[in-house]
Amino acid sequence: MLMKLSYLLLAGLTNGSVYGLIGLSLSVIYGSSRVINFAQGEFVMLGAMSAVLFMVTLALPWPLAMLAMIAVVIVAALALDYGVYRPLTKRKAAPLTIMIGTLAAAIVVYGLAFLLWGPDQKFVPPVLSLTPVRIGFLVTNTQQVSLIVIFLAFLIATWYLLYRTRFGLTVRATGVNPKVALLMGIRSERIVQFSFIFSATISGVAGMMVGPLLGGHVGMGLLLTVKGFMAAILGGLGSPFAAAAGGIAIGMMEALMAGYGTSLYAEPAIFVLILLVLIVRPYGLLGDYEAERR
Amino acid sequence: MAGDTVPEAPRAPTIIPVLVILALGIVLPFLLSSGFHLRLAMLVWIYAILCMGFNLLYGYSGQISLGSPAFYAIGGYAFAMLQTMLGMGPVSAFVGSLLLVAVLSLLIGLPLLRLRTHYLAMATLAFMLVQNGVANRWINFTGGQSGVAVPPLEWGGEPIGRMGIYFVILALAAAVFILHDFLIRSHLGRAMQAIRDDETAAQALGVKVTRMKLAVLVLSAVMAAIAGVCFGITSLRVDPSLSEFHVLVSLLTIVVVGGLGTRFGPILGSIIVVLLPQLLHEFGELETVVYGLFILLFLLFLPHGLSGLLERRDWRLRRTGKKPAPAVARDLKEELP
Repeated sequence: MLMKLSYLLLAGLTNGSVYGLIGLSLSVIYGSSRVINFAQGEFVMLGAMSAVLFMVTLALPWPLAMLAMIAVVIVAALALDYGVYRPLTKRKAAPLTIMIGTLAAAIVVYGLAFLLWGPDQKFVPPVLSLTPVRIGFLVTNTQQVSLIVIFLAFLIATWYLLYRTRFGLTVRATGVNPKVALLMGIRSERIVQFSFIFSATISGVAGMMVGPLLGGHVGMGLLLTVKGFMAAILGGLGSPFAAAAGGIAIGMMEALMAGYGTSLYAEPAIFVLILLVLIVRPYGLLGDYEAERR
Repeated sequence: MAGDTVPEAPRAPTIIPVLVILALGIVLPFLLSSGFHLRLAMLVWIYAILCMGFNLLYGYSGQISLGSPAFYAIGGYAFAMLQTMLGMGPVSAFVGSLLLVAVLSLLIGLPLLRLRTHYLAMATLAFMLVQNGVANRWINFTGGQSGVAVPPLEWGGEPIGRMGIYFVILALAAAVFILHDFLIRSHLGRAMQAIRDDETAAQALGVKVTRMKLAVLVLSAVMAAIAGVCFGITSLRVDPSLSEFHVLVSLLTIVVVGGLGTRFGPILGSIIVVLLPQLLHEFGELETVVYGLFILLFLLFLPHGLSGLLERRDWRLRRTGKKPAPAVARDLKEELP
């Protein structure tokens, strides 16, 4: 009984870490630019598929492969910034239009990845070992545990960057009011660019680490974007930490629903739960931050 | 105040372009040679009906609800199942499915419409995913992946041919189109725009915001259901693909390519989105990439969509005569206590 519960919680924590990382990266971009980036899941896909490219096809050792993968997602993030975000904001497009622009970019990325990797599910090589490890009475593997560690590490790094550095202050200022921030001598465009690069890196690393557990597929991006978006909304879009907490909550709910309810209806049931949460708390579970600012 | 400073009131847009588009729709099937082309024409009208509802909801009232594909699917399913399971005739099944969707959207709209922006988008997206999940999983009731067969439409004991079905769809599309145009040009359309631009101000001016938002949501859901029924009678089958993500992507692309909050945007956008993949076939494997790039180019160079392009030219022609006097507006403001 307790065994089952703790297994479910561990599985939930692992999946939740991935959703949380995507939610965190979505929220970082939203915080600086008020744009929901619908190409975020594609960064995760690029992370997983680049791992296949660099570690299997080119047979690089994993640290080099990770650097190369980060280079790939940064190029993608810059392309998104220069190709979609900047031209659209220059033309004073509405946030929804920019969101559809990122959706179009996601279609392009998906199309290119499809040309490169084809439609088949690919085995993503594990960075750490997949051999079972015992922690107390739980059997897990280092790859799974590393996801949770990476999640915590990025959470702390984001917190430190946003709340303990001068640079973080400029990022938060841009999020509150880009025009006033610009008047204060903050280069808002660069802040947005940084947020794209930072969140792409987070998502790419998440993709590389979760790839061995989920399997790599060029079409995996969209569902991950939706889950990350849900995580961000459930927690509260305004703060990266609320978004991360939302991701953990969704992962846990998924695991518990699959374990104790029906695994068939687990997915619809979670969407119903999210609907109910939003009806009770219109700005997300921890969303007072943003509600207050209105 | 001198009389000549008062600008001419903007003339109400005429209904002539609407009639021209509908006339083109009537002539169209006689120009098309193959059944495949006729099917594409039907799809254009179906998407146009779906997107006109979304246009009223998002383009005019500013409520971004991503639930339209769910109502589209529920409309189609209800139309099919009322006929096959309860043995209703097509007309009563049509009315029944619209009523069902209207009630359902009212029940969903009541709690959800107090959400704003991305939260509303997410909640309605969750609703769509629930609908899709149930349609996929509840195999005994919805037929799962394979969906439900729709009995073919009959007239006097004989099934209606392709041409007849086209005109049924055109008639429904015309009704929706005229209603859409009427709403936009009437005071109700201005009330919707007031809600979109500033809810508090709209309320202060006497717009019943909550009631209006609900009414528009129900109307757009009913329009989506009409589109679903139309899809059912053309394809003779409804399945979970009606509320899958790609429908939502098409929907968003149509309203943006056509122009958000414009009179003809949904129709122009539907033409592009339905025909574009056909034209892109020759790119072979590059099709998806080219499709994405094409949408991006549209967003960049036609930010107000195709319809925005037309309406702007119209606006320029009207402005060539006398320049409007913005001073008048200021005078009026100063006259207020």
